[in-house]
Amino acid sequence: MNAAGLLSNALDGAVVIECGSEQGEFAGVLLASLGAEVVKLEGRHGSDSRRLGPFSIPDGGPEHSLCFSRYNLGKKSVRLEIDHPAARDALRRLAMRADVIIDSGTADAVARRLDFYREMQLANPRLIVCTITPFGLDGPSRDLAMTNLTHLALGGVMASCGYDARPDGVYDTAPIAPEMWQAYHIAGEYAVIAITAALNFRELTGEGDCIDLSIHEAVSSCTEVAMPTYIYNGEVVKRQTGRHAAEGRTRPWLRRTKDGRYVKAFLFWGGRDVRVITEMLNEAGVAHDLDSDEYRELRERAPAEAQAHFSAMIDKLVGSMTAEEVFHRAQAKGLLWASVRYPEENIADPHFQARGTFQPIHHPELGRDLHYPVSVATDGKDRVTGFSRGAPRLGEHTDEVLAQAGLTVSDIAVLRTQGAL
Amino acid sequence: MAHSESARRRPLEGVRVIDLTKIVAGPNATRMLATMGAEVIRVEWHDQRALDLLRGVRPLAPGGEADSVNRSGLFNNINAGKYGVTLNMNLPQGRDLFKKLVAGASVLCENYSPNQMERWELGYETLSEINPGLIYAQITGMGKSGTYNGYLSVGPTAQALSGLTHMSGFPEPMPPAGWGYSYLDHSTGYYGAILILAALYRKRRTGRGCYLDLSQTEAGIMVSGTATLEAQVSGNPTDRHGNRMPAADWAPHGAYPCRGTDEWIAIAIQNDAQWALLAAEIGAPEWTRDARFALAAGRKAHEDELDRLMAEATLSTDRYDLMNRLQRRGVPAAAVQKADDRCERDPQLKARGYFVPLPHSEIGTWAIEGFPAKFARMPVDVGGLPHRGAPMMGEDNDYIYRDVLGLGPEEIATLREEWVI
Repeated sequence: MNAAGLLSNALDGAVVIECGSEQGEFAGVLLASLGAEVVKLEGRHGSDSRRLGPFSIPDGGPEHSLCFSRYNLGKKSVRLEIDHPAARDALRRLAMRADVIIDSGTADAVARRLDFYREMQLANPRLIVCTITPFGLDGPSRDLAMTNLTHLALGGVMASCGYDARPDGVYDTAPIAPEMWQAYHIAGEYAVIAITAALNFRELTGEGDCIDLSIHEAVSSCTEVAMPTYIYNGEVVKRQTGRHAAEGRTRPWLRRTKDGRYVKAFLFWGGRDVRVITEMLNEAGVAHDLDSDEYRELRERAPAEAQAHFSAMIDKLVGSMTAEEVFHRAQAKGLLWASVRYPEENIADPHFQARGTFQPIHHPELGRDLHYPVSVATDGKDRVTGFSRGAPRLGEHTDEVLAQAGLTVSDIAVLRTQGAL
Repeated sequence: MAHSESARRRPLEGVRVIDLTKIVAGPNATRMLATMGAEVIRVEWHDQRALDLLRGVRPLAPGGEADSVNRSGLFNNINAGKYGVTLNMNLPQGRDLFKKLVAGASVLCENYSPNQMERWELGYETLSEINPGLIYAQITGMGKSGTYNGYLSVGPTAQALSGLTHMSGFPEPMPPAGWGYSYLDHSTGYYGAILILAALYRKRRTGRGCYLDLSQTEAGIMVSGTATLEAQVSGNPTDRHGNRMPAADWAPHGAYPCRGTDEWIAIAIQNDAQWALLAAEIGAPEWTRDARFALAAGRKAHEDELDRLMAEATLSTDRYDLMNRLQRRGVPAAAVQKADDRCERDPQLKARGYFVPLPHSEIGTWAIEGFPAKFARMPVDVGGLPHRGAPMMGEDNDYIYRDVLGLGPEEIATLREEWVI
């Protein structure tokens, strides 16, 4: 399979300038996976994400951050201090040949560059500028200091995630922020929706646009039933272990398996589950009473008690098998169950190998490839998105990109002398 | 600059989308397209076996008929801006009519079970003969190609298999907390929209359509961040870290209890300066003189003790008061907001017009969650072309079958009598 896929040239020819903070990196990497040439502008010391772990080798060096490489695959790196006065001409030249600029960070930092972007849009009306800031460029919360964690708190994700309350209804464990840059993932996905829509708009009108994306609004829009439940019924959903937050307590979904792992095994009461699970118990040789007259009578007389008993039978079934056995056997019976996998277990899974979900990217410091998740779709056979190269070294493409933008060797040397590169 | 003419043009002007989706993941994708100005025609059938489960899901708008399929608040939120028709796909006449709809469309998006379209003899090969430029996005739990193509999934299934459930929560011996809602129904919708928008852009430039086989589980793998990479390097299985920051020496970094019932504040300290400001504001400057906590690495090494002290210090404070006091000093802190907080007490969402009141033909006007960005030029409207909430079942039969497909009144009457529409 090639690195390229059906849509990995969809944005072929589109040039994206990305600057600012880690908040915009996911948007940039998604655009790179669609074939855009994404030029990342980094300050002299490199992006902050180069100092975030994990690291491929334990030196903690800026070229070995796996956080940086995950979110910057396929990009080019230009070392340029964008707020340095001497860098303005270079920036202007870059913007003149760009289709999209992504700028992220605090609203204050981004706003300092807005006049420049507006000036650039006058000179290059096809330019699309997308700012990704914590709250957007206006509003009373505009300047609050935020991180991924505080976004997931304020935006409502944490309130729905965590563990059951005690039997007396008191929560003695904190709400949970699911790991990794989920706030920035959501914001990045929305940014790419907005940018690709703007590219379509530009095909119609010949004009670019200014997109002012709010991470807080993006996160807020991603809490499923929580908002409608309050808007329509005035009720607030409560977090529950390993399952959906709801107005009231629901039955557990997570169950322990023979190999000490977990599966997510739902019970859709009243469906075909009783029959199917009874079959599975019989096949697994696990003693049960689900096809007895007593159990049928209990279902009629005391449904809640019968459900609890049925759930205990599922525990018994699940406890007799490994997590992967449960997953495959249940799916063969048409149940929506799955093993709770470690994410890396999918790399060797034949299904995801066949689909090209992961792409090997060479790491010279390790002398081997690491497999990166790069695609969510195939064209029926091969993945549709991918990368022609890994993440760039700091400033790896400075001379090349600036020369393409029209700077001479001596221009570049002067910028270096002035401290702008 | 005069943009009055182009300002009336929507990014997806002239794009017709046939929306054969159910529940949340597929409808979320087409919702984004409706927001961007596509004419999205939702195709449904009211037989109990074919009915979109979401039409009956809580919360329901109060009042009305108990058996109405038009009152779900979640359905209204996720299907705003679309047209709606009824069509019995199990009848040959229904499938013929469906082919006519597809013949005039740019996009088909569906998320039925993996082989349903082939059972109807409406696979991509058939449909692309009718409409060679068609973009056909098929969304399934695992992906249509590969070895799990008969497997079934809902959001929680995909979250378990992708690794997202495992990654969220406190370390063992606590079980995973997972996600308290179908996060991957949102994410898959976003990726569906991104790939369709990219494919539309490509089609505008090349004239070519395509088939896209989207996997909800792969969407989860895509947002698993650096976990798969770290595991490949370390050889150790991915662990959970609660609300802590494993990628840097950021501590304290968590959610801490506040005054009231289940009220919490998230605080993320990224450096020593923020630490000093936190300690000063919280009234515990002696912490800064504790040698264990003086520097970031020490705070990280003693995070258990630090979290205990933090929880003691925040317990009697009001979460918003503490958030505001910390924010005035530039410390990242945010109340863990529930849905009622975001609706009633979030000044930013209100100021930016996040909630969009849209009329619905049966339940009246309700607040719909908006798109999280502002655009300078493009008219972007979650109410879509009809500028309203979700369609009632078959609400637009007359408009679509008469005005779009050009059927005569007698033909439409016959189709109704024969239970085709």
